Amino acid sequence: MFDENYLKEVERRRKQWEETTLKAALERFGAEESPNEFYAPSDIRSFDFLEKVGFPGEFPFTASVYPSSVPGSGPVTGGWYLGGGGGLVRAGRYLGFGTAEDTRVCYERDITRGRKGGPNLPFDLPTQIGLDSDDPRARGEVGRIGVAVDTLRDFEDIYQPFKGENELDKIASNWTINAPANIILAMYIALAEKRGIPQHKLRGTLQNDILKEYVARGTYIFPPQPSMRMIKDTITYCSEHVPLMNVISISGIHMRDAGASRIQALAFALCNATAYLQLGVDAGLDIDSFIRRFSFNTLGGSMEVLKEIAVRRAERRMWAKIVKDKFKAKNPRSWILREAGGYMIGGWTTHPQRPLNNLTRAVLGAAAGALCGYIPSVEPPFDEPLGLGWSIEAQQLAEDAARIIQYEAKLTKTLDPFAGSYYMEYMTDKVEEEAANLINRVESMGGSIRAIEDGFMQREIARSAYEFQQKVECEEELIVGVNCFNDEHELEVIPTRVVPDTYDPTKRAEAENKQVARLTQVRGERDGQQVQTALKQLQEAAHDETTNLIPLIVEAVEAYATVGEICGVLRSVFGEYVGYGHI
Amino acid sequence: MNKERHIKVLMAKPGLDGHDRGAKVLTLGLRDAGMEVVYTGLRQTPEMIAQAALEEGVDIVGLSSLVGAHGYLFPEVVEQLRKRGLGDVLVFGGGNIPKEDIPPLLAKGISAIFLPGASIREIASCMRSKVEEKRKGSSY
Repeated sequence: MFDENYLKEVERRRKQWEETTLKAALERFGAEESPNEFYAPSDIRSFDFLEKVGFPGEFPFTASVYPSSVPGSGPVTGGWYLGGGGGLVRAGRYLGFGTAEDTRVCYERDITRGRKGGPNLPFDLPTQIGLDSDDPRARGEVGRIGVAVDTLRDFEDIYQPFKGENELDKIASNWTINAPANIILAMYIALAEKRGIPQHKLRGTLQNDILKEYVARGTYIFPPQPSMRMIKDTITYCSEHVPLMNVISISGIHMRDAGASRIQALAFALCNATAYLQLGVDAGLDIDSFIRRFSFNTLGGSMEVLKEIAVRRAERRMWAKIVKDKFKAKNPRSWILREAGGYMIGGWTTHPQRPLNNLTRAVLGAAAGALCGYIPSVEPPFDEPLGLGWSIEAQQLAEDAARIIQYEAKLTKTLDPFAGSYYMEYMTDKVEEEAANLINRVESMGGSIRAIEDGFMQREIARSAYEFQQKVECEEELIVGVNCFNDEHELEVIPTRVVPDTYDPTKRAEAENKQVARLTQVRGERDGQQVQTALKQLQEAAHDETTNLIPLIVEAVEAYATVGEICGVLRSVFGEYVGYGHI
Repeated sequence: MNKERHIKVLMAKPGLDGHDRGAKVLTLGLRDAGMEVVYTGLRQTPEMIAQAALEEGVDIVGLSSLVGAHGYLFPEVVEQLRKRGLGDVLVFGGGNIPKEDIPPLLAKGISAIFLPGASIREIASCMRSKVEEKRKGSSY
């Protein structure tokens, strides 16, 4: 806080500067307006360090959600390992394509290269949408953007390499799965049971953030209301039986990639998070007992990294206030926004034109992430826009860039180095205020579900995407090598990939036929009567909203019922959501 | 007929892909460029797209895919259009499509493929000239 007289003096001097020093410079350039901004104490008049920033790991967590890095392993968020041996040692690399066997081979190879921890699995679109690999609608999509999972047999194969020191009770798995999240959870429970591991020892993260699917990512199956009931089932089941499982990963990144502005992505993600918290509260759970299994995946941003740092700072503060003040959580550990990974530039900021430039972009994002309390995350690898699957070279460059940011540049040493910066505090307040206004607007509509059913969030995001495109086309927004600096004198730098593609293109092409054959075999070997019984009892139970369906889904997957069959009976009760393409 | 007769476009998302930023942006952009554009929303089968093209009486079908399923789905849409007697409807494709996949798609009847970075202006002008070409061809 500044003295009023001092602020008056600062304002007087600012005016004087504008009329003399600045004006003279602009006149020299023949310009009317300065291309720059400059911030002074008078821009953050009411700034109070303890109220607005606080110490790391303490309310309102603007500086950092943790008081320190994990000593010896590096920066603030846990679970990722940098350094310690050569090669690609970071845990958590997103990996999976083709059949379960193709994915198993990938993990085996990665483990020999020093991979630590559990798998981080992308699923193909048919799996994400609850269709079997032999469904006509799945044609051309099986095993394309992730691994195809039809039955528990596929899970058994994928998890082959995860035994011994990587046994299920020693690793954490990560699944990018939403609408069928409870089926994937059930498969993990069933797999563990077969290996004699009790479910209470299982750790992992389900994405399970269905609301953003309607808005941005598109892998919904059921309408919003029954989908929320499924998430309520995850929260209540896990809080009792799988207490170490992160039940949800609330995402902003997909909305950003779909074109949302930074304010929209922040506000909508917090609205959605609030809706999920309410599910647990309405189910009669104590907020402090289940909120710590809520995680966030808001990490996508833009190239305007200073503004993105402000978003991260505002986000931590806003979430802490929501949980503490609105939901009355008592344990300070409940107030923190848990996010493994933190901040990166997001997929939409990378381009296939002169693709090595994406490394420069990702490094800037990772440096910014390091400067706002996260492990540097040089993502995505530079060749992401060239097609599915990253080259080993691109991954190595990303790993090394993160190491250079951390160990050579030492950017993670000082927590929240922008704390107290006139610009950063001004921007953080501004982001908070604008996002709070948008949150109020959604709340006045009746919350996230209504705002989605009405197409409000969808239309807002489409409008922002179009506005950005218009700016790109009139060159108000410049993208190097895309809409500018791309004449004939510029050199197209083509990276050579010496190491073979992570996702073998031949295997990818063969995956569909192979997976259909696998599925046919499983259907032939299983006990058809047992499957029918399990599906029938699931269907009956689905009518009763108070019944938790997860135990019944576990029974169904144990009988080798398919993802398509399980979603099929649920569709017959819940109905299907039809997206009308709100614009 | 009137040379400036308006152009009607069906913007469609074939298959299971949920990335519709491009489809939506282009829908809005082509509308602003004076075309009539209908957007299907997500998860359209080639049959559904061809049927919608028939019902809407469009000049162009625009297909967007970012998940590597274009190789099967785009030609399948062309095939379904032909089956309905709509062989003269132009099919445009766009999305995250590897360059080496373009020649086979063009050989299978796709009129043009646009990659990330293409401007609305460029796409609209290509659409206009291809429709014009087709209309001239059919009137003689």
